[in-house]
Amino acid sequence: MIILAIETATTACALGLRSAEREVVRVLDLERRHSEVLALGIEGVLEEFGLRALDLDRVVVDVGPGLFTGLRVGVASAIGLGEGLGRPIVSVSSLELLAHGAGHAGVRATVVGVVDARRGEVFVQTFRVSDEGVVAMDAARVSTARSVVIEWATNGASVVFTGDGVQRYLADFAAVPNGEVFSQSVPSVEAALALGEQREPSERVVPLYLREADAVANFTTRERQP
Amino acid sequence: MKILGIETSCDETAAAVVDEHLHVFSSVVESSIDQHRAFGGVVPELAGRAHVTTIGPVVRRALDDADLDPHHPEIDAIAVTSGPGLIGSLLVGLSAAKAYSLAWGVPFVGVNHLEGHLFAPLLERPDMAWPVVTLLVSGGHSLIVLQSAPGEHRVLGETIDDAAGEAYDKVARWLGLGYPGGPEIDRLAREGSPDALKLPVSMTGDDLDFSFSGLKTAVVRATEKQHDVALRDVAASFQAAVAEQLLRKLRAAMVAHEVKGVALAGGVAANSTLREGVSELAREFGVEVHLPTMAMCTDNAAMIAAAGLYRLGISGPSSLALSALPNWQLADVS
Ligand SMILES: [Zn+2]
Repeated sequence: MIILAIETATTACALGLRSAEREVVRVLDLERRHSEVLALGIEGVLEEFGLRALDLDRVVVDVGPGLFTGLRVGVASAIGLGEGLGRPIVSVSSLELLAHGAGHAGVRATVVGVVDARRGEVFVQTFRVSDEGVVAMDAARVSTARSVVIEWATNGASVVFTGDGVQRYLADFAAVPNGEVFSQSVPSVEAALALGEQREPSERVVPLYLREADAVANFTTRERQP
Repeated sequence: MKILGIETSCDETAAAVVDEHLHVFSSVVESSIDQHRAFGGVVPELAGRAHVTTIGPVVRRALDDADLDPHHPEIDAIAVTSGPGLIGSLLVGLSAAKAYSLAWGVPFVGVNHLEGHLFAPLLERPDMAWPVVTLLVSGGHSLIVLQSAPGEHRVLGETIDDAAGEAYDKVARWLGLGYPGGPEIDRLAREGSPDALKLPVSMTGDDLDFSFSGLKTAVVRATEKQHDVALRDVAASFQAAVAEQLLRKLRAAMVAHEVKGVALAGGVAANSTLREGVSELAREFGVEVHLPTMAMCTDNAAMIAAAGLYRLGISGPSSLALSALPNWQLADVS
Protein backbone atom coordinates (compact mmCIF):
# COMPACT_ATOMS: atom_id res chain seq x y z
CA MET A 1 0.00 0.00 0.00
CA ILE A 2 1.33 3.47 -0.91
CA ILE A 3 0.37 6.07 1.67
CA LEU A 4 0.89 9.80 1.90
CA ALA A 5 0.68 11.49 5.33
CA ILE A 6 -0.02 15.20 5.81
CA GLU A 7 0.87 16.96 9.06
CA THR A 8 -0.11 20.63 9.56
CA ALA A 9 -1.56 20.78 13.10
CA THR A 10 1.20 22.87 14.63
CA THR A 11 3.48 25.63 13.34
CA ALA A 12 5.39 22.86 11.55
CA CYS A 13 4.44 21.43 8.17
CA ALA A 14 5.52 17.84 7.60
CA LEU A 15 4.72 14.93 5.32
CA GLY A 16 5.52 11.28 4.94
CA LEU A 17 5.39 8.77 2.11
CA ARG A 18 5.48 5.02 2.51
CA SER A 19 5.60 2.35 -0.17
CA ALA A 20 6.30 -1.37 0.16
CA GLU A 21 10.05 -0.71 -0.07
CA ARG A 22 10.68 2.57 1.64
CA GLU A 23 9.42 5.29 3.91
CA VAL A 24 10.43 8.93 4.24
CA VAL A 25 9.30 11.59 6.67
CA ARG A 26 10.13 15.18 6.03
CA VAL A 27 9.63 18.34 8.07
CA LEU A 28 9.19 21.00 5.39
CA ASP A 29 8.91 24.12 7.51
CA LEU A 30 8.55 25.26 11.12
CA GLU A 31 7.15 28.75 10.60
CA ARG A 32 3.47 28.32 9.70
CA ARG A 33 4.08 28.45 5.94
CA HIS A 34 1.91 25.35 5.43
CA SER A 35 0.27 26.57 2.26
CA GLU A 36 3.54 27.58 0.56
CA VAL A 37 5.45 24.37 1.27
CA LEU A 38 2.96 21.50 1.39
CA ALA A 39 1.96 20.95 -2.26
CA LEU A 40 5.50 21.53 -3.45
CA GLY A 41 6.74 19.04 -0.83
CA ILE A 42 4.23 16.41 -1.96
CA GLU A 43 5.27 16.85 -5.58
CA GLY A 44 8.93 16.54 -4.57
CA VAL A 45 8.58 13.39 -2.49
CA LEU A 46 6.49 11.64 -5.16
CA GLU A 47 9.18 12.46 -7.71
CA GLU A 48 11.86 11.12 -5.39
CA PHE A 49 10.00 7.80 -5.16
CA GLY A 50 9.45 7.77 -8.92
CA LEU A 51 5.69 7.77 -8.32
CA ARG A 52 2.75 9.71 -9.65
CA ALA A 53 -0.12 10.97 -7.48
CA LEU A 54 -2.26 8.30 -9.15
CA ASP A 55 -0.11 5.63 -7.50
CA LEU A 56 -1.27 6.69 -4.04
CA ASP A 57 -3.64 4.23 -2.36
CA ARG A 58 -4.53 6.38 0.60
CA VAL A 59 -4.03 9.79 2.13
CA VAL A 60 -3.81 10.15 5.90
CA VAL A 61 -4.19 13.57 7.50
CA ASP A 62 -3.81 14.96 11.00
CA VAL A 63 -7.17 16.67 11.64
CA GLY A 64 -6.05 18.24 14.91
CA PRO A 65 -6.60 19.66 17.38
CA GLY A 66 -4.14 22.42 16.53
CA LEU A 67 -3.78 25.67 14.61
CA PHE A 68 -7.06 26.26 12.78
CA THR A 69 -5.52 27.68 9.62
CA GLY A 70 -2.86 24.98 9.42
CA LEU A 71 -5.49 22.28 9.90
CA ARG A 72 -7.60 23.69 7.09
CA VAL A 73 -4.62 23.76 4.74
CA GLY A 74 -3.87 20.12 5.56
CA VAL A 75 -7.47 18.91 5.39
CA ALA A 76 -8.27 20.85 2.20
CA SER A 77 -5.14 19.38 0.60
CA ALA A 78 -6.11 15.86 1.67
CA ILE A 79 -9.62 16.40 0.29
CA GLY A 80 -8.26 17.67 -3.03
CA LEU A 81 -6.01 14.63 -3.38
CA GLY A 82 -8.50 12.07 -2.05
CA GLU A 83 -11.43 13.41 -4.07
CA GLY A 84 -9.34 14.10 -7.14
CA LEU A 85 -7.86 10.60 -7.20
CA GLY A 86 -10.89 8.77 -5.83
CA ARG A 87 -8.84 7.42 -2.93
CA PRO A 88 -9.85 7.06 0.71
CA ILE A 89 -8.73 9.56 3.35
CA VAL A 90 -7.88 8.47 6.89
CA SER A 91 -8.17 10.95 9.80
CA VAL A 92 -5.79 10.83 12.75
CA SER A 93 -5.51 13.21 15.70
CA SER A 94 -2.47 15.29 16.66
CA LEU A 95 -2.69 14.13 20.29
CA GLU A 96 -2.72 10.41 19.46
CA LEU A 97 0.21 10.96 17.10
CA LEU A 98 2.16 12.48 19.99
CA ALA A 99 1.39 9.45 22.19
CA HIS A 100 2.40 7.05 19.39
CA GLY A 101 5.54 9.10 18.80
CA ALA A 102 6.54 8.63 22.44
CA GLY A 103 5.68 4.93 22.19
CA HIS A 104 7.86 4.48 19.08
CA ALA A 105 10.75 5.99 21.06
CA GLY A 106 10.32 3.33 23.77
CA VAL A 107 8.20 5.22 26.29
CA ARG A 108 5.90 2.86 28.25
CA ALA A 109 3.81 5.01 30.56
CA THR A 110 0.81 7.21 30.97
CA VAL A 111 1.44 9.82 28.27
CA VAL A 112 -0.23 13.22 28.13
CA GLY A 113 -0.21 14.80 24.69
CA VAL A 114 -0.21 18.60 24.83
CA VAL A 115 -0.66 20.79 21.75
CA ASP A 116 -0.28 24.57 21.98
CA ALA A 117 -3.71 26.14 21.48
CA ARG A 118 -2.51 29.78 21.71
CA ARG A 119 -4.15 32.39 23.93
CA GLY A 120 -2.64 30.72 26.99
CA GLU A 121 -4.44 27.45 26.36
CA VAL A 122 -3.48 23.92 25.36
CA PHE A 123 -5.27 20.95 23.77
CA VAL A 124 -4.69 17.92 25.95
CA GLN A 125 -5.45 14.18 26.10
CA THR A 126 -4.20 11.27 28.22
CA PHE A 127 -3.09 7.92 26.76
CA ARG A 128 -1.86 4.62 28.16
CA VAL A 129 1.18 3.58 26.11
CA SER A 130 2.22 -0.06 26.57
CA ASP A 131 3.64 -2.95 24.54
CA GLU A 132 0.08 -3.63 23.44
CA GLY A 133 -0.20 -0.20 21.89
CA VAL A 134 -1.77 3.18 22.59
CA VAL A 135 -5.15 3.56 24.30
CA ALA A 136 -6.89 6.88 24.97
CA MET A 137 -7.86 7.27 28.63
CA ASP A 138 -10.03 10.37 28.18
CA ALA A 139 -11.31 12.68 25.47
CA ALA A 140 -9.31 15.51 23.92
CA ARG A 141 -10.14 18.85 25.57
CA VAL A 142 -9.04 22.46 25.92
CA SER A 143 -7.27 23.42 29.14
CA THR A 144 -4.38 25.54 30.39
CA ALA A 145 -0.83 24.37 31.04
CA ARG A 146 -1.30 25.44 34.66
CA SER A 147 -4.37 23.33 35.34
CA VAL A 148 -2.84 20.28 33.63
CA VAL A 149 0.29 20.68 35.75
CA ILE A 150 -1.70 21.11 38.99
CA GLU A 151 -3.93 18.16 38.13
CA TRP A 152 -0.98 15.77 37.70
CA ALA A 153 1.13 17.14 40.55
CA THR A 154 -1.85 16.63 42.88
CA ASN A 155 -2.72 13.21 41.55
CA GLY A 156 0.87 12.04 42.06
CA ALA A 157 0.81 9.27 39.44
CA SER A 158 3.84 9.07 37.19
CA VAL A 159 3.29 10.64 33.81
CA VAL A 160 5.11 11.64 30.63
CA PHE A 161 4.22 14.94 28.96
CA THR A 162 4.86 15.49 25.26
CA GLY A 163 4.03 17.94 22.50
CA ASP A 164 4.67 21.54 21.39
CA GLY A 165 2.46 22.73 24.27
CA VAL A 166 4.94 21.15 26.68
CA GLN A 167 7.86 22.82 24.91
CA ARG A 168 6.08 26.17 25.15
CA TYR A 169 5.38 25.87 28.90
CA LEU A 170 8.45 23.74 29.62
CA ALA A 171 9.26 25.26 33.03
CA ASP A 172 5.74 24.45 34.28
CA PHE A 173 5.70 20.86 33.02
CA ALA A 174 9.29 20.13 34.11
CA ALA A 175 8.34 21.17 37.65
CA VAL A 176 5.86 18.30 38.11
CA PRO A 177 7.76 16.00 40.55
CA ASN A 178 6.12 12.81 39.30
CA GLY A 179 6.35 13.90 35.66
CA GLU A 180 8.85 13.56 32.86
CA VAL A 181 9.06 15.40 29.58
CA PHE A 182 9.50 13.60 26.26
CA SER A 183 10.70 16.27 23.84
CA GLN A 184 8.60 16.17 20.69
CA SER A 185 7.18 19.19 18.89
CA VAL A 186 5.81 17.73 15.67
CA PRO A 187 3.13 15.01 15.94
CA SER A 188 4.66 11.76 14.67
CA VAL A 189 4.33 11.38 10.91
CA GLU A 190 5.70 7.81 11.18
CA ALA A 191 2.73 7.04 13.42
CA ALA A 192 0.37 8.70 10.95
CA LEU A 193 1.68 6.45 8.16
CA ALA A 194 1.21 3.34 10.31
CA LEU A 195 -2.30 4.33 11.43
CA GLY A 196 -3.15 5.30 7.88
CA GLU A 197 -2.65 1.71 6.83
CA GLN A 198 -4.51 0.10 9.75
CA ARG A 199 -7.44 2.42 10.25
CA GLU A 200 -10.78 2.58 8.44
CA PRO A 201 -11.07 5.59 6.11
CA SER A 202 -13.25 8.52 7.20
CA GLU A 203 -16.56 9.32 5.55
CA ARG A 204 -16.21 13.00 6.30
CA VAL A 205 -12.84 14.59 6.91
CA VAL A 206 -13.16 17.74 9.04
CA PRO A 207 -10.73 19.53 11.33
CA LEU A 208 -11.11 18.82 15.04
CA TYR A 209 -11.38 22.37 16.38
CA LEU A 210 -12.45 21.66 20.00
CA ARG A 211 -13.25 25.35 20.28
CA GLU A 212 -16.21 27.31 18.97
CA ALA A 213 -15.42 30.00 16.45
CA ASP A 214 -15.05 33.04 18.68
CA ALA A 215 -17.68 34.69 16.59
CA VAL A 216 -18.88 37.28 19.04
CA ALA A 217 -15.60 38.16 20.73
CA ASN A 218 -13.60 38.26 17.55
CA PHE A 219 -16.38 39.69 15.51
CA THR A 220 -15.03 41.32 12.40
CA THR A 221 -17.02 42.33 9.42
CA ARG A 222 -16.11 41.41 5.90
CA GLU A 223 -12.52 42.47 5.42
CA ARG A 224 -12.22 45.58 3.37
CA GLN A 225 -10.96 44.87 -0.07
CA PRO A 226 -9.60 47.27 -2.63
CA MET B 1 -9.75 22.83 -23.36
CA LYS B 2 -11.67 22.79 -20.07
CA ILE B 3 -10.70 24.68 -16.94
CA LEU B 4 -12.00 24.15 -13.40
CA GLY B 5 -12.48 27.38 -11.44
CA ILE B 6 -12.49 27.48 -7.64
CA GLU B 7 -13.51 30.49 -5.54
CA THR B 8 -13.42 30.75 -1.72
CA SER B 9 -12.42 34.35 -1.00
CA CYS B 10 -15.34 35.30 1.25
CA ASP B 11 -18.48 33.39 2.27
CA GLU B 12 -19.21 31.60 -1.03
CA THR B 13 -17.64 28.23 -1.84
CA ALA B 14 -17.84 27.96 -5.62
CA ALA B 15 -16.62 25.73 -8.44
CA ALA B 16 -17.28 25.86 -12.19
CA VAL B 17 -16.19 24.28 -15.45
CA VAL B 18 -15.63 26.61 -18.42
CA ASP B 19 -14.00 26.05 -21.82
CA GLU B 20 -11.80 28.29 -23.99
CA HIS B 21 -14.86 29.63 -25.82
CA LEU B 22 -16.11 30.79 -22.40
CA HIS B 23 -18.92 28.26 -22.51
CA VAL B 24 -20.01 27.55 -18.92
CA PHE B 25 -20.62 23.81 -18.43
CA SER B 26 -21.39 24.11 -14.74
CA SER B 27 -21.33 26.69 -11.97
CA VAL B 28 -22.00 25.70 -8.36
CA VAL B 29 -22.18 28.23 -5.52
CA GLU B 30 -22.72 27.32 -1.87
CA SER B 31 -22.94 30.22 0.60
CA SER B 32 -22.47 30.26 4.37
CA ILE B 33 -24.26 33.62 4.62
CA ASP B 34 -26.97 32.25 6.96
CA GLN B 35 -24.32 31.59 9.60
CA HIS B 36 -23.09 35.19 9.45
CA ARG B 37 -26.41 37.04 9.43
CA ALA B 38 -26.67 37.28 13.22
CA PHE B 39 -23.28 39.02 13.36
CA GLY B 40 -24.10 41.67 10.76
CA GLY B 41 -21.12 40.69 8.66
CA VAL B 42 -19.01 37.78 7.52
CA VAL B 43 -17.19 36.15 10.46
CA PRO B 44 -13.84 34.95 9.05
CA GLU B 45 -13.46 31.86 11.25
CA LEU B 46 -17.00 30.68 10.47
CA ALA B 47 -16.41 31.24 6.75
CA GLY B 48 -13.16 29.24 6.88
CA ARG B 49 -14.89 26.35 8.65
CA ALA B 50 -17.71 26.30 6.13
CA HIS B 51 -15.33 26.25 3.15
CA VAL B 52 -13.43 23.22 4.38
CA THR B 53 -16.63 21.16 4.68
CA THR B 54 -18.15 22.31 1.37
CA ILE B 55 -15.13 22.44 -0.95
CA GLY B 56 -15.11 18.71 -1.78
CA PRO B 57 -18.86 18.38 -2.47
CA VAL B 58 -18.97 21.66 -4.44
CA VAL B 59 -16.13 20.63 -6.77
CA ARG B 60 -17.67 17.19 -7.21
CA ARG B 61 -21.02 18.73 -8.15
CA ALA B 62 -19.39 21.11 -10.63
CA LEU B 63 -17.68 18.14 -12.32
CA ASP B 64 -20.89 16.10 -12.19
CA ASP B 65 -22.99 18.91 -13.69
CA ALA B 66 -20.43 19.17 -16.50
CA ASP B 67 -20.74 15.39 -17.11
CA LEU B 68 -17.15 14.76 -16.09
CA ASP B 69 -15.81 11.78 -14.15
CA PRO B 70 -14.85 13.28 -10.74
CA HIS B 71 -11.73 11.11 -10.46
CA HIS B 72 -10.44 11.25 -14.03
CA PRO B 73 -12.03 14.41 -15.39
CA GLU B 74 -11.02 15.82 -18.73
CA ILE B 75 -9.82 18.99 -17.06
CA ASP B 76 -6.80 20.73 -18.56
CA ALA B 77 -6.14 23.35 -15.91
CA ILE B 78 -7.36 24.74 -12.60
CA ALA B 79 -7.91 28.42 -11.77
CA VAL B 80 -8.32 29.53 -8.17
CA THR B 81 -8.83 32.86 -6.44
CA SER B 82 -5.61 33.62 -4.57
CA GLY B 83 -6.62 37.14 -3.41
CA PRO B 84 -7.91 39.54 -2.30
CA GLY B 85 -10.16 38.18 0.44
CA LEU B 86 -10.20 36.59 3.87
CA ILE B 87 -6.89 34.77 4.36
CA GLY B 88 -8.42 31.73 6.14
CA SER B 89 -11.00 31.35 3.37
CA LEU B 90 -8.57 31.88 0.48
CA LEU B 91 -6.24 29.20 1.86
CA VAL B 92 -8.94 26.50 1.69
CA GLY B 93 -9.57 27.01 -2.02
CA LEU B 94 -5.89 27.49 -2.79
CA SER B 95 -4.83 24.34 -0.91
CA ALA B 96 -7.56 22.27 -2.52
CA ALA B 97 -6.74 23.65 -5.99
CA LYS B 98 -3.07 22.74 -5.62
CA ALA B 99 -4.05 19.24 -4.50
CA TYR B 100 -6.44 18.70 -7.44
CA SER B 101 -3.69 19.97 -9.71
CA LEU B 102 -1.28 17.37 -8.25
CA ALA B 103 -3.92 14.64 -8.42
CA TRP B 104 -4.73 15.21 -12.09
CA GLY B 105 -1.27 16.33 -13.19
CA VAL B 106 -2.57 19.60 -14.67
CA PRO B 107 -1.33 23.19 -14.24
CA PHE B 108 -3.02 25.62 -11.90
CA VAL B 109 -3.13 29.40 -11.89
CA GLY B 110 -3.88 31.91 -9.13
CA VAL B 111 -6.45 34.55 -10.12
CA ASN B 112 -7.23 37.98 -8.69
CA HIS B 113 -10.84 37.97 -7.48
CA LEU B 114 -11.52 41.46 -8.87
CA GLU B 115 -10.16 40.51 -12.27
CA GLY B 116 -12.56 37.58 -12.05
CA HIS B 117 -15.48 39.99 -11.66
CA LEU B 118 -14.33 41.83 -14.81
CA PHE B 119 -14.73 38.60 -16.79
CA ALA B 120 -18.33 38.02 -15.68
CA PRO B 121 -19.93 40.18 -18.42
CA LEU B 122 -17.72 38.46 -21.00
CA LEU B 123 -19.11 35.02 -20.09
CA GLU B 124 -22.55 36.13 -21.24
CA ARG B 125 -21.25 38.12 -24.19
CA PRO B 126 -17.97 36.61 -25.50
CA ASP B 127 -18.08 38.82 -28.64
CA MET B 128 -18.25 42.16 -26.85
CA ALA B 129 -16.64 45.20 -28.49
CA TRP B 130 -13.60 46.75 -26.76
CA PRO B 131 -12.64 48.94 -25.00
CA VAL B 132 -15.14 48.67 -22.16
CA VAL B 133 -15.46 50.68 -19.00
CA THR B 134 -16.68 48.65 -16.04
CA LEU B 135 -18.25 49.78 -12.80
CA LEU B 136 -17.32 47.07 -10.30
CA VAL B 137 -19.28 47.32 -7.07
CA SER B 138 -19.77 44.76 -4.33
CA GLY B 139 -19.71 44.26 -0.57
CA GLY B 140 -15.95 44.65 -0.51
CA HIS B 141 -15.02 46.74 -3.52
CA SER B 142 -16.00 49.78 -5.62
CA LEU B 143 -13.95 50.60 -8.72
CA ILE B 144 -14.12 52.01 -12.22
CA VAL B 145 -11.93 50.00 -14.59
CA LEU B 146 -11.02 50.64 -18.21
CA GLN B 147 -10.46 47.43 -20.19
CA SER B 148 -8.86 47.62 -23.62
CA ALA B 149 -9.12 43.83 -24.08
CA PRO B 150 -9.74 40.80 -21.83
CA GLY B 151 -7.05 40.79 -19.15
CA GLU B 152 -5.82 44.27 -20.03
CA HIS B 153 -7.15 46.76 -17.56
CA ARG B 154 -6.44 50.03 -15.83
CA VAL B 155 -8.09 51.17 -12.60
CA LEU B 156 -9.46 54.68 -13.23
CA GLY B 157 -11.00 55.24 -9.83
CA GLU B 158 -11.80 53.47 -6.59
CA THR B 159 -13.22 54.15 -3.18
CA ILE B 160 -10.99 56.05 -0.79
CA ASP B 161 -12.82 54.64 2.25
CA ASP B 162 -15.84 52.28 2.42
CA ALA B 163 -17.03 50.15 -0.47
CA ALA B 164 -20.57 50.86 -1.71
CA GLY B 165 -21.74 47.50 -0.32
CA GLU B 166 -20.32 48.37 3.09
CA ALA B 167 -22.31 51.59 3.10
CA TYR B 168 -25.46 49.55 2.35
CA ASP B 169 -24.70 47.18 5.23
CA LYS B 170 -24.03 50.02 7.69
CA VAL B 171 -27.21 51.90 6.79
CA ALA B 172 -29.26 48.69 6.83
CA ARG B 173 -27.95 47.83 10.29
CA TRP B 174 -28.81 51.30 11.54
CA LEU B 175 -32.32 51.03 10.08
CA GLY B 176 -32.67 47.58 11.68
CA LEU B 177 -33.00 45.81 8.32
CA GLY B 178 -30.57 42.95 8.90
CA TYR B 179 -27.62 41.68 6.90
CA PRO B 180 -26.77 41.83 4.05
CA GLY B 181 -28.32 45.25 3.53
CA GLY B 182 -28.33 45.58 -0.25
CA PRO B 183 -31.31 43.49 -1.34
CA GLU B 184 -33.59 44.77 1.43
CA ILE B 185 -32.76 48.45 0.85
CA ASP B 186 -33.20 47.93 -2.90
CA ARG B 187 -36.61 46.33 -2.34
CA LEU B 188 -37.80 49.13 -0.02
CA ALA B 189 -36.33 51.83 -2.25
CA ARG B 190 -38.52 50.76 -5.16
CA GLU B 191 -41.62 51.89 -3.22
CA GLY B 192 -40.08 55.02 -1.73
CA SER B 193 -39.36 58.57 -2.84
CA PRO B 194 -35.70 59.35 -3.57
CA ASP B 195 -36.28 63.06 -2.86
CA ALA B 196 -37.63 62.56 0.67
CA LEU B 197 -34.26 63.17 2.34
CA LYS B 198 -31.61 65.63 1.28
CA LEU B 199 -28.35 63.69 1.27
CA PRO B 200 -25.02 65.05 0.07
CA VAL B 201 -23.34 63.48 -2.95
CA SER B 202 -19.72 63.73 -1.87
CA MET B 203 -16.59 63.85 -4.02
CA THR B 204 -17.72 66.06 -6.82
CA GLY B 205 -14.09 66.75 -7.81
CA ASP B 206 -12.43 65.88 -11.09
CA ASP B 207 -10.95 62.55 -10.04
CA LEU B 208 -12.87 59.30 -10.46
CA ASP B 209 -12.57 58.11 -6.84
CA PHE B 210 -15.53 57.43 -4.55
CA SER B 211 -16.22 58.08 -0.89
CA PHE B 212 -19.08 56.46 1.01
CA SER B 213 -18.03 56.70 4.64
CA GLY B 214 -19.88 59.97 5.27
CA LEU B 215 -23.16 58.73 3.84
CA LYS B 216 -24.29 56.72 6.87
CA THR B 217 -23.72 59.74 9.15
CA ALA B 218 -25.66 61.89 6.69
CA VAL B 219 -28.57 59.42 6.75
CA VAL B 220 -28.55 59.40 10.58
CA ARG B 221 -28.52 63.23 10.75
CA ALA B 222 -31.19 63.71 8.11
CA THR B 223 -33.58 61.24 9.75
CA GLU B 224 -33.01 62.82 13.16
CA LYS B 225 -34.04 66.16 11.73
CA GLN B 226 -37.03 64.60 9.97
CA HIS B 227 -38.11 61.62 12.06
CA ASP B 228 -41.53 61.14 10.49
CA VAL B 229 -39.96 60.01 7.23
CA ALA B 230 -40.94 56.50 6.11
CA LEU B 231 -38.37 53.70 5.98
CA ARG B 232 -38.95 53.21 2.25
CA ASP B 233 -38.23 56.89 1.63
CA VAL B 234 -34.99 56.69 3.63
CA ALA B 235 -33.99 53.64 1.60
CA ALA B 236 -34.87 55.33 -1.69
CA SER B 237 -33.00 58.53 -0.80
CA PHE B 238 -29.91 56.62 0.33
CA GLN B 239 -29.93 54.39 -2.73
CA ALA B 240 -30.30 57.41 -4.99
CA ALA B 241 -27.32 59.14 -3.33
CA VAL B 242 -25.11 56.04 -3.76
CA ALA B 243 -26.19 55.55 -7.36
CA GLU B 244 -25.76 59.22 -8.21
CA GLN B 245 -22.16 59.23 -7.00
CA LEU B 246 -21.32 55.98 -8.83
CA LEU B 247 -23.03 57.01 -12.05
CA ARG B 248 -21.66 60.56 -12.05
CA LYS B 249 -18.11 59.18 -11.86
CA LEU B 250 -18.85 56.50 -14.43
CA ARG B 251 -20.15 59.16 -16.78
CA ALA B 252 -16.99 61.25 -16.23
CA ALA B 253 -14.93 58.15 -17.10
CA MET B 254 -16.90 57.75 -20.33
CA VAL B 255 -16.35 61.38 -21.23
CA ALA B 256 -12.60 61.04 -20.63
CA HIS B 257 -12.14 57.69 -22.39
CA GLU B 258 -13.69 56.65 -25.65
CA VAL B 259 -15.21 53.20 -25.18
CA LYS B 260 -17.44 50.83 -27.15
CA GLY B 261 -19.23 49.44 -24.13
CA VAL B 262 -20.12 49.98 -20.49
CA ALA B 263 -20.46 47.11 -18.00
CA LEU B 264 -21.66 46.53 -14.47
CA ALA B 265 -20.06 43.84 -12.29
CA GLY B 266 -19.97 42.71 -8.66
CA GLY B 267 -22.77 41.89 -6.20
CA VAL B 268 -24.18 45.41 -6.05
CA ALA B 269 -24.70 45.18 -9.84
CA ALA B 270 -27.98 43.46 -8.99
CA ASN B 271 -29.22 46.84 -7.79
CA SER B 272 -32.13 48.11 -9.89
CA THR B 273 -31.28 51.83 -9.78
CA LEU B 274 -27.72 51.13 -10.94
CA ARG B 275 -28.87 48.86 -13.76
CA GLU B 276 -31.22 51.54 -15.06
CA GLY B 277 -28.58 54.24 -14.68
CA VAL B 278 -25.93 52.27 -16.59
CA SER B 279 -28.39 51.45 -19.40
CA GLU B 280 -29.19 55.14 -19.67
CA LEU B 281 -25.49 56.04 -19.92
CA ALA B 282 -25.05 53.46 -22.68
CA ARG B 283 -27.91 55.04 -24.63
CA GLU B 284 -26.53 58.54 -24.10
CA PHE B 285 -23.08 57.53 -25.42
CA GLY B 286 -24.41 55.13 -28.04
CA VAL B 287 -22.37 52.16 -26.77
CA GLU B 288 -23.12 48.53 -25.84
CA VAL B 289 -24.37 47.83 -22.34
CA HIS B 290 -23.38 44.71 -20.39
CA LEU B 291 -25.53 43.88 -17.38
CA PRO B 292 -24.71 40.36 -16.20
CA THR B 293 -27.41 38.21 -14.66
CA MET B 294 -27.62 38.06 -10.88
CA ALA B 295 -25.75 34.71 -10.76
CA MET B 296 -22.81 36.22 -12.63
CA CYS B 297 -22.81 39.49 -10.64
CA THR B 298 -22.32 37.81 -7.28
CA ASP B 299 -19.23 35.77 -6.43
CA ASN B 300 -18.95 32.62 -8.55
CA ALA B 301 -16.23 30.38 -9.96
CA ALA B 302 -17.12 30.65 -13.67
CA MET B 303 -15.69 34.17 -13.70
CA ILE B 304 -12.54 32.89 -11.95
CA ALA B 305 -12.19 30.12 -14.54
CA ALA B 306 -12.60 32.65 -17.36
CA ALA B 307 -9.99 35.00 -15.89
CA GLY B 308 -7.76 31.97 -15.30
CA LEU B 309 -7.89 31.04 -19.00
CA TYR B 310 -6.52 34.44 -19.91
CA ARG B 311 -3.93 34.48 -17.10
CA LEU B 312 -2.66 31.05 -18.16
CA GLY B 313 -2.30 32.31 -21.71
CA ILE B 314 -0.62 35.58 -20.70
CA SER B 315 1.49 34.68 -17.67
CA GLY B 316 1.55 30.86 -17.66
CA PRO B 317 0.80 28.61 -14.68
CA SER B 318 1.50 29.51 -11.04
CA SER B 319 4.04 27.75 -8.84
CA LEU B 320 2.77 25.26 -6.27
CA ALA B 321 4.45 27.56 -3.72
CA LEU B 322 1.98 30.37 -4.50
CA SER B 323 0.70 32.08 -1.35
CA ALA B 324 -2.67 33.68 -0.76
CA LEU B 325 -2.61 37.49 -1.06
CA PRO B 326 -5.40 38.87 1.15
CA ASN B 327 -4.77 42.47 0.01
CA TRP B 328 -3.93 41.89 -3.66
CA GLN B 329 -4.90 45.04 -5.60
CA LEU B 330 -6.30 44.84 -9.11
CA ALA B 331 -3.75 47.49 -10.18
CA ASP B 332 -0.96 45.07 -9.21
CA VAL B 333 -2.18 42.23 -11.44
CA SER B 334 0.26 41.51 -14.25
ZN1 LIG C 1 -16.59 39.62 -5.20
